[in-house]
Amino acid sequence: MAWKFDNPLYSMSDEQTNKATIALWEKEKHGGLWAANSRLPFPLTILIALTITTAFLVTMPIWGQRPSALLYAPMVDLMDTPEVQQKATPEEKMAYLTTRAMEVHKAASDSRLPGLLERHPIRWDDLQLAAPHIREIQSSNSTYGLESYTVVGDQVVLGNFEGSYRADGKRERTQPWWDKGYTIDLFYVTYFVITMVFVCKRLPHFSQKPDMSKVAK
Amino acid sequence: MLLKYLFAKNEDIPAGSSTIFFGYSAIFWFVVGTGLGSFNAAKLAFPDFATGVELFAFGHMRQVHVLAVILGWISMAFAMTMMYMTPALGNTKLWSEKLGLWTAFNWNVGLSLGLILLWLGFTSGREYSDLIWPIDLVVIFGVLVPLGINVWMTIAQRKTQGIYITNWFFGACIFMLIIVFLVGNSAEFFNLTGLTEGYLTFWFAHNVLGLWITPVAAGIAYYTIPKLTGNPLYSHRIGHLHFWSIIAFYSTPASHHLLSAPLPEWLKSFASVEGVLILIPAIAFVANILLTMKGRWSMFVENVETKFSVTGVLLAIPLNMQGGFQQTRAINWYVHGTGWIVAHAHLALLGMSSFLEIAAVYFGLQQVLRRKLYSLVLANFHFWFVIIGFCIYWISMTIAGLIQGAGKIYEVPYIDVVIAEHPYMIARWIGGTMVFTGNMVWLYNMYMTAREGTVVPKGRYAHEMAYER
Repeated sequence: MAWKFDNPLYSMSDEQTNKATIALWEKEKHGGLWAANSRLPFPLTILIALTITTAFLVTMPIWGQRPSALLYAPMVDLMDTPEVQQKATPEEKMAYLTTRAMEVHKAASDSRLPGLLERHPIRWDDLQLAAPHIREIQSSNSTYGLESYTVVGDQVVLGNFEGSYRADGKRERTQPWWDKGYTIDLFYVTYFVITMVFVCKRLPHFSQKPDMSKVAK
Repeated sequence: MLLKYLFAKNEDIPAGSSTIFFGYSAIFWFVVGTGLGSFNAAKLAFPDFATGVELFAFGHMRQVHVLAVILGWISMAFAMTMMYMTPALGNTKLWSEKLGLWTAFNWNVGLSLGLILLWLGFTSGREYSDLIWPIDLVVIFGVLVPLGINVWMTIAQRKTQGIYITNWFFGACIFMLIIVFLVGNSAEFFNLTGLTEGYLTFWFAHNVLGLWITPVAAGIAYYTIPKLTGNPLYSHRIGHLHFWSIIAFYSTPASHHLLSAPLPEWLKSFASVEGVLILIPAIAFVANILLTMKGRWSMFVENVETKFSVTGVLLAIPLNMQGGFQQTRAINWYVHGTGWIVAHAHLALLGMSSFLEIAAVYFGLQQVLRRKLYSLVLANFHFWFVIIGFCIYWISMTIAGLIQGAGKIYEVPYIDVVIAEHPYMIARWIGGTMVFTGNMVWLYNMYMTAREGTVVPKGRYAHEMAYER
């Protein structure tokens, strides 16, 4: 069971251990079946690498967040204007407000806002209930800006993120690009890959094939 | 008949008795579980069906169907395969046939009691872990621990030096399931509420699927495919990759079921990445099995056990692709709470997992009984009814789910969504009923196999004699 590090990508076991392993595989027949010593086909190695990359790409920066209060601020600004009040039904009011808010967001520097608004429509009833909270945040020199508040139905709540520390010693409450779970995952996957390389390279190199004809006898 | 051995001496009990007990119990529960599924689907397709009696209300019936399938069919089929594969792979006997029989007895009695109580409305109120805590204790200490002891002791007293990959999965998954049951049900025992209860509920639900239902099924395929084809397993090292990536990635993504809940964002972020990485064990497993089929693909057409087994492996591809991506936030916001998730769950349990178990139950019962299948025609009928029924179910529920997703996002009135889904609910019922019909035929076929199947001579396999008269 000695370790050998002179050619770690070939095998980390010495030749004697590898020969003993192959001999054991040839001798042992688990209930009439045995396992060969093939490698993972190269295209599948690429596929696994692609999977790991994809896993990180599709989850960063965590697309499709819950809607922030910032999305609805243009609606709150306009909801008491005569143009909106004249509309007969809540649906007509919301259609007008959504169009106007979309125009504002399209002109803004953050290109994610129009998509977020499209995915997170709000009802007139909820907007009326949420509006006082949004106005309060806008007017009260709040510690956090509208972008840090999440709107769930008619509730406006401070986001439950723990971002970088700000100059005032408080944490940012918007999604940080390096999200903690994401960082933990980088370490976790790295450990996994390193461990798997050790596990596989302790086996005989895949070019050493057990002689199955011996097993069958 | 097997009950007489419950009080016999262990050495007087014929080898394979517990396999037979578990095997027929599993098929029986499959018929019950899919029958309940068909009944429930009829209630969704035809709202006036079986109304007026509280016990037949959907809220009383749904979880009985789910747990009859998970704990009755799938888990007992697992136990059945463990009872014959574990000793075979160690060139030894089962540690205790008597314990195996008692486990099967406890399981049938405990599950019947649990499901009746559930049906009557005694429930923990949590999805998947619906059983009340006294029944959970019966499952843990009357069923899982004895099963584990039998499997672990059989592995420990093996006559081979190495442990074949199937036994890694069996030994590890029972251990993990006991932990999952103990921790996952603690919410009820310790009266935990709110977010903690929600998280534990889905920690349990996800891990029952990820650390029991799919990996044990995969472990079974590692036995059946090399055994049926006569080929060696393509790669021992890919088996390592599969096993350890299951442990690393399948045990962590529970909170991807709760992406909209106020759980810590880092936990959801971690879970979401892990959820995609579930594709790694899937790639390893599917590649290892399909490459083992090399040169023997004709068996996929000719041999009914291989047909079931390979179909199960092939269904693992859409299962893991779909699951990995449904749980990313980019897609989950649209599909959460819709029928597409139900379609995915059935792809896992009725598709991938059940097909692998059906193959192993067919193979194992013929081997242990030493009798050739009574009717190959009925077995093929079973295959086609189950696969066509499943596909109708899967496709109709996927479409219904996407309609629900659109309805949810665009705030379509609920009743309009219900009307739009109606044709797909009827298709769902037709598909589910086909599966149920196929399973009743299977139960009859296996009953007749035990009674009238041709005796298999020593040194031969039943499946080799499929076309011999």
